Amino acid sequence: MITNFITMNGYGLYVWLSFGVVIISCSVVYIKTKKTLKKYEQEFLAELQTLTLEEKNKALRSSKVAQQILATSFKAN
Amino acid sequence: MFKFFSSTNIYLLIEKLIKFINSIFFLILVIGLTFALILSPPDYLQGDAVRIMYVHVPSAWIGLASFSVITFLSVLNFIFKIKNFYFINKSLAPIGLLFTCLAIVTGSLWGQPTWGTWWAWDARLTSMLALMFFYIFYILTFKLLNEEELIIKISSVIAIIGSINLPIIKYSVEWWATLHQPASIKITGSSSIHSEMLLPLMVMLLVFLLYAALIFLMKYKTEIIRIKKKNIKRN
Repeated sequence: MITNFITMNGYGLYVWLSFGVVIISCSVVYIKTKKTLKKYEQEFLAELQTLTLEEKNKALRSSKVAQQILATSFKAN
Repeated sequence: MFKFFSSTNIYLLIEKLIKFINSIFFLILVIGLTFALILSPPDYLQGDAVRIMYVHVPSAWIGLASFSVITFLSVLNFIFKIKNFYFINKSLAPIGLLFTCLAIVTGSLWGQPTWGTWWAWDARLTSMLALMFFYIFYILTFKLLNEEELIIKISSVIAIIGSINLPIIKYSVEWWATLHQPASIKITGSSSIHSEMLLPLMVMLLVFLLYAALIFLMKYKTEIIRIKKKNIKRN
């Protein structure tokens, strides 16, 4: 039964290769997209650090996105 | 109403959606793979090779649907200059390209055991290849050009010209004699696919849609952060 499942009655190579290509490609794209997102979040935080305390408070007060990124980075750390 | 579509609200919504998709994705993926690889029956003619359908068909559908959305939003953006559409298209195009490539590769892997060839220059396959090139040209405009106005103009032209290819892909199997089989699933009219195969196909479509949504949301979130980073000192 397991052999049948692996060989897929002679079509195993094509079936497994198809599913494998899809899973590997999708995983690579997912990892790459996540890395890029993290990179931009880090860059955003680094940019925030360059501001003076007053500018930083102002930026955080006016931008919920900035608050959220900061909160997420605290959670991640 | 318009306040809801502010980048802040969109960002918060994206965060929630990403969390939601992450929480259900693996469960649906396991169900989809179980149906596709174990529970669904082999085809009476193609045997187990038919299982390739569960990755090939959703890939092709998402590849086509993404380009349709891109074309629609490009036209709207060209007329109304809604900047969000520009970012949506920029985030959507790589997903469309990925799934179009996957449809071509898995189609080729399905073609070898069923048609006896990896590739044929027939209407359906060639028009799908053309779609892949339209995606590549579309993405290249974002990569190679710097001026936003110019990117919008050129990418919109590519999307509109590329959209001519969409009905050609859809009806190629009816207009020309092709190796590719005609559509088994029809929105209007009766489908010729058995329910035991239709159910796994729909579950796998859901898996692919969730994955596409996840990547889109992450890319769109990246775009929002990029804009906010630019504007941080102006606040």
